[in-house]
Amino acid sequence: MIEIKNVNFSYKGSLDAGLHDVSLQIHDGETVLLCGASGCGKTTILRLINGLIPHYYKGELSGSVNVSGKRIEQTELYELASIVGTVFQNPRSQFFSVDTDGEITFGTENIGIPPAEILRRKSDVTKEFALEPLLDKSLFALSGGEKQKIACASVSALMPEIMLLDEPSSNLDWNAIGELAEVIRKWKAQGKTIVISEHRLWYLKDLVDRVIFLENGVILHEWSRQEFAAMSASELSALGLRPVTLEEQYIREFSGDLAALHSAEPAVMCDNDILIRDLYFTYHPPKYVLWKKKLCAEHSADYTLAVPELRLPHASVIGLIGRNGAGKSTFLRCLCGLEKDCPVQMVLDGETAFGKRILKKRYMVMQDVNHQLFTDSVEAEVLLSMPDESPEKAQKLIDELGLSGYEQTHPMALSGGQKQRVAICSALAADAEILLFDEPTSGLDHKHMTMVAALLKSLAKRGKTVIVSTHDPELISLCCDRILCLEKGRVRYLRKV
Amino acid sequence: MRPITLDPRTKLAMIFGVSFIVMVNAVTPLEWAIRIAITMIPILLMISEGKYAAAFRFSLLYGIALLLLKCFLSSESTGFLSAMLLGYCGIIAQFMPAMITAWYVIRTTKIGEFMSAMQKMHVPDGIAVSLAVVMRFFPTLKEEYSAISDAMRMRGIAFGGGKVSKMIEYRMIPLLFSCVSIGEELSAAAVTRGLGAPMKRTSPYELRLKAADWIIFGIFALFVGLFVAVKYLR
Repeated sequence: MIEIKNVNFSYKGSLDAGLHDVSLQIHDGETVLLCGASGCGKTTILRLINGLIPHYYKGELSGSVNVSGKRIEQTELYELASIVGTVFQNPRSQFFSVDTDGEITFGTENIGIPPAEILRRKSDVTKEFALEPLLDKSLFALSGGEKQKIACASVSALMPEIMLLDEPSSNLDWNAIGELAEVIRKWKAQGKTIVISEHRLWYLKDLVDRVIFLENGVILHEWSRQEFAAMSASELSALGLRPVTLEEQYIREFSGDLAALHSAEPAVMCDNDILIRDLYFTYHPPKYVLWKKKLCAEHSADYTLAVPELRLPHASVIGLIGRNGAGKSTFLRCLCGLEKDCPVQMVLDGETAFGKRILKKRYMVMQDVNHQLFTDSVEAEVLLSMPDESPEKAQKLIDELGLSGYEQTHPMALSGGQKQRVAICSALAADAEILLFDEPTSGLDHKHMTMVAALLKSLAKRGKTVIVSTHDPELISLCCDRILCLEKGRVRYLRKV
Repeated sequence: MRPITLDPRTKLAMIFGVSFIVMVNAVTPLEWAIRIAITMIPILLMISEGKYAAAFRFSLLYGIALLLLKCFLSSESTGFLSAMLLGYCGIIAQFMPAMITAWYVIRTTKIGEFMSAMQKMHVPDGIAVSLAVVMRFFPTLKEEYSAISDAMRMRGIAFGGGKVSKMIEYRMIPLLFSCVSIGEELSAAAVTRGLGAPMKRTSPYELRLKAADWIIFGIFALFVGLFVAVKYLR
């Protein structure tokens, strides 16, 4: 039983929203979903339950939190480890080990469980989650979905009675989300208490017993599963939540055979189409002794990615879809000219570009924008991209993207959405013709997702060609003109939405 | 070829042994012989990992470097070309063997094994955990660093627009920011799984020194002993 009573919390030295007078009781074996916009306090509630507040994240805390009869404030984190397990959002930063086996047993080693028992539990969770094929591998070689499964297994091996999941689906494709739902279902069947904080709601609608809606650190609504399922799409979107049923419908359409029927659309032939040729790439290059072999059409059957020819319409938004590991990110990297071994050529306005010249005309907004912000102010960031540093033009772009007032702010001090816009600003400043986005809406709430969609549309209006890789059907429905589907590194279809 | 599995303790000894012999200046022919013999070890390690082509390329480069050092370069050589060549030979002949050994150790050692080996050597948990985090961070650093390099190439500032200070600044600032945030999330994830508990850590790995380990220990003891004897005890 989890009992949160009249809790107020504010983070120390951070603007992250806290909680105001939150009271919540979660019974044993219950599955509860916490939803609401980013910064509404979902994650903070999870941190109260797993003890990271107040033991790891410091701040002002009043009220009381009791988990399984223990007062969290007076319980050490390691004592909670075998009571409360947490699966985090980012697979990149929740692993302690480099190999899968070590990761699964990590928690059990820490709390000093005897070796024989560790091995028994390891084989139990391996069987339970069907992890056999993932054992004895490097974690860095796994897909997002596989990583998240290992994270679940690692927590499961500690056999806690309470499971917390913090936006676990952010980086997952539709299939991987299905597998995650399966894991949650198993835990539920074992009688575990489960608390999930999430933006994507569709996969949970049959699993949860209760839904809690938060806004600005206050619990505003509470629904039972039936009440929640009965809510209409407009009611949900008024609250800034993502639709529950709409997404499933899209998934069926995008991943099912239905799509194959539409694939017969003839290649669009326009003078200003962008023509892409010879996009080949492989993660297992042929062995060489002194010189690398060039990638070419002849051997393309063995390549990870092979797109001999592709025409893309100018000034439109193209949604790039496909499963995790279908080659979406690699496709974007090749298109951008970042993979040196890829012999891609691009014909744009009758001009053929390849190699380094490709880099000049394209710009990719990466999934983690932090990697591409280099300077100490927004203005300097935009100027850095300009061939001729013109402050007036920079100012104009900054205004257009709604960043006025932030010219002198350090980019790292901005919110995620603002950082994304700074990156787009630099792309426009560099006069890029093709803008590539690698999953720009993963982990975003409804409001921010619609903002991104509007932004992408406005870029296409400016005459830029936008290619956006995504798992987000809502984003596709809001802004994409075409869908490009990749499967196992090959183009499966390109069609109108 | 089946990869040889070695005990983490043997691997640690190997890093120290190779680094010591390869980095210390060799003068007499016997010292050179020991050094070349010890360089065979990283080459063999690469072969045992199935990196035949890489092993061949390294041997070739190493051979050229030795030849250059022996025939064309001496401490009196001056001029730009010989400075460049000397730099190249230094990197290939002095640093590469140690780097290859370190690469092999990091690549083949599981963090769990490493922690268990540390415990057997009675290293305090605090130090063992920190070292384990360092090992875990190498691949992360590599990922982050290459993402940042890509972003710089896309912006056309891979060389800092001509300024060396900028080149370093642009690379280091995003790297530091992302490492700090990964580090923070990583430790939050680790403490919720009981890292830092006062009880003694356990490990499912049973470490025992096998024949291969003793052979390697023997070889290293012999070479290091011989090297120290001819170099310092004459």
